[in-house]
Amino acid sequence: MDRSARPTASERPLCVAALFECFARGRAVTRSEVDGGEKSFTAVHYRIEEPIVRPLFIADKETHFGGQGDAFCPFWKFIVAAGRFLDLPMSDADRTRGPIHSIRGGRDGPPPPEGPMRRLAAILAADISGYSRLMQLDEEGTHARVTRHRRELIEPNLAEYHGKLITYTGDGFLAMFDSPVEAVRCAIVIQQSMVGRNASLPRDQWILYRIGINLGDVVVVAPSEVYGDGLNIAVRLEGIADPGDVYVSGGVYEQIKNKLVCAYQSLGDRQVKNITDPVSVYRVLPDPAALSQARKKRWPVALLAVLVACNIAIFGGLYFLLQQRQTPNQAPTVAARTESPAVTANTPPPLPTPAPAQEPEEKPKGGSPASAPAQAPQESAKESTKESTNESAASAPVTTPIPAQLAPDMVSIPGGAFSMGSDDDPSEKPIHRVTIKSFAISKFPVTVREWNACVAAKGCSYPPTGKDDAPVTNLSWTDTQQFVEWLSKVTQKPFRLPTEAEWEYAARGGTKSKFWWGDQLQAAMANCKGCNEPYETSQPLNVGSFKPNPFGLYDMGGNIHQWVADCWHDNYQGAPSDGSVWVEHDCLSRVIRSGSWKNDPSYVRPSNRDHYDATVRYPTHGLRVAYSQ
Amino acid sequence: MRGTRAILAAALLTGLPVAAHSQGTHAPGDAFLYIIWPPDGTTVKGPFWCRFGLRGMGVTQAGSSAPNSGHHHLLIDVNDPIDPNEPIPQDKTHLHFGAGQTEARIDLPPGKHTLQLVLGDAKHYPFNPPLISKKITIMVK
Repeated sequence: MDRSARPTASERPLCVAALFECFARGRAVTRSEVDGGEKSFTAVHYRIEEPIVRPLFIADKETHFGGQGDAFCPFWKFIVAAGRFLDLPMSDADRTRGPIHSIRGGRDGPPPPEGPMRRLAAILAADISGYSRLMQLDEEGTHARVTRHRRELIEPNLAEYHGKLITYTGDGFLAMFDSPVEAVRCAIVIQQSMVGRNASLPRDQWILYRIGINLGDVVVVAPSEVYGDGLNIAVRLEGIADPGDVYVSGGVYEQIKNKLVCAYQSLGDRQVKNITDPVSVYRVLPDPAALSQARKKRWPVALLAVLVACNIAIFGGLYFLLQQRQTPNQAPTVAARTESPAVTANTPPPLPTPAPAQEPEEKPKGGSPASAPAQAPQESAKESTKESTNESAASAPVTTPIPAQLAPDMVSIPGGAFSMGSDDDPSEKPIHRVTIKSFAISKFPVTVREWNACVAAKGCSYPPTGKDDAPVTNLSWTDTQQFVEWLSKVTQKPFRLPTEAEWEYAARGGTKSKFWWGDQLQAAMANCKGCNEPYETSQPLNVGSFKPNPFGLYDMGGNIHQWVADCWHDNYQGAPSDGSVWVEHDCLSRVIRSGSWKNDPSYVRPSNRDHYDATVRYPTHGLRVAYSQ
Repeated sequence: MRGTRAILAAALLTGLPVAAHSQGTHAPGDAFLYIIWPPDGTTVKGPFWCRFGLRGMGVTQAGSSAPNSGHHHLLIDVNDPIDPNEPIPQDKTHLHFGAGQTEARIDLPPGKHTLQLVLGDAKHYPFNPPLISKKITIMVK
């Protein structure tokens, strides 16, 4: 036996890992594929419930390592002795896959851990906010959904992130992880998946988990019996977490802060119930990069994406071919185009003081046009609406029609195909052919006057500043969703933000040049820094201050940035070719188009694109609205 | 008399910058903004994570007026000085981290680039006094 042969770097962890799997953990249901240099073997697969072990360690040591096990791993002697005692086969690779021996058969062998065991673990506690309310609304449906979440979401994710379920509680669950990083990843994925699942449902049926994670020393009596301060703190953290949020303790934060690319918001030291010392609490705000990494592993999503992509490719291709045959060079024409400016309202809009609707539960006051008492009680579940960003303010249904002059003037844009993108900036590449179905888009960016109508009806929470005919600005993407939702309700039309492809198609107005009027910058065409003299730096100009493009649209480039529906992607690799919205199920960064009065002329180009955090307001960001026809 | 004049002059001199920075939120004097990674003069290959460091203050989301906290803005190859009376610009060279991010994946074309952090308040205005990191130069291969 040549003891001088030392294990190589890649081989040493192998034997240690094998030993760990077999004797130290003893509880995992694991299947691992280990590559031991030129020899690889698939093995370590056993479960304590049926106390069996495939004794591959010894067989592999003997057959694959040529008797150099002592050199490879200092524990081999021990394993060999244990193996001999248990009468495990010592060689013959075929036999090792056949017989299965009980490790508990020999009581003098390495004993399995008995009685309570202390260990350090990341404990994840989760529960559904407003569970009783949901059960009250729809008992069977809610139960079915919760059960489905367990099967489709919680259990697969726990397995994927190497977590162990401790127990299901009535409306939530407790799980234990070896690694805080995996625990937080798992929590983020669960929360993000829930966002996707909730998206198609009405607000009052949303199932939102609150998740708390703590790293602490716990007593493990049995897989489903875990006790300790560490666990209690996790439960308390979950108790103070907002619905849809993940709160972690300082201990977890210390472990994950440099490993998980998330934003962490410190909430300071919090006193939690029945725990003497205050606990430092952090809120995890997942970052798109971290999410995409986590999602990479999720093959069902990937598979779905591939299927969808294939469908798009096939149908898109067919449609494109047909389109090419039927209308080789369809010149875009403008239907329903009126030259008079839309905002000709002489009567001032009925504006009560623009009260920020920060208390979504607040019932509309007597004189307010908004009154729909029938559905209001369902919204009163405070915990689920508290601090929720999107629909909270818009959730009070408003059915009173708005005066016609306050609805944005829409221009109907015929369908067609165009080359999207340019070679001027890496983010605009590759240039790709996109087919657009006909749609309607507002002739101007949404004005302060139009936005104020939404605020007055308590549909929008942000009180704008500026002149009535100025474009509304300082909006987050989230704010814009309140507006389109409110507008859809009052007009009974499916208002939304334009998709990024629709925006560029509309902005080009059928042209292929750098700017819609040609390849050179011209004065008096758009509002930007360097476009015109004199230059007004402090605020945007009123909508419609410059010439409309060939589609009759004003301010498609310059004056204010305009949010579109799409999530941000660094370039057009993988972009849809049918003009549809390009989104992941929740992205932090959304696309802004048009450039603002503060940007240089290159931002006025129709192909220019930029992005911004969806929840953040900035003084140059506004919107225009669209709907499909 | 001379003493009074000196005091007046001192008051004027110290008062002037305060007047000029009237927009910004007050920042504690010991706050310090710096780039943790990459260090000045580093050569990086391809995209890299830029990590933002802040001492003496906290990071919060834009729009939050929590005391003594702000959010990061990363200036890439920006030579124009920051105007203390204007919101920090938003374009492809002024990257905003209004969600409270403390690091970012940066992908720059090969060549020499400068990086600099500016802390912004709830409304994206620089603080008073402005919190601006040292401008570092990196080489992208």
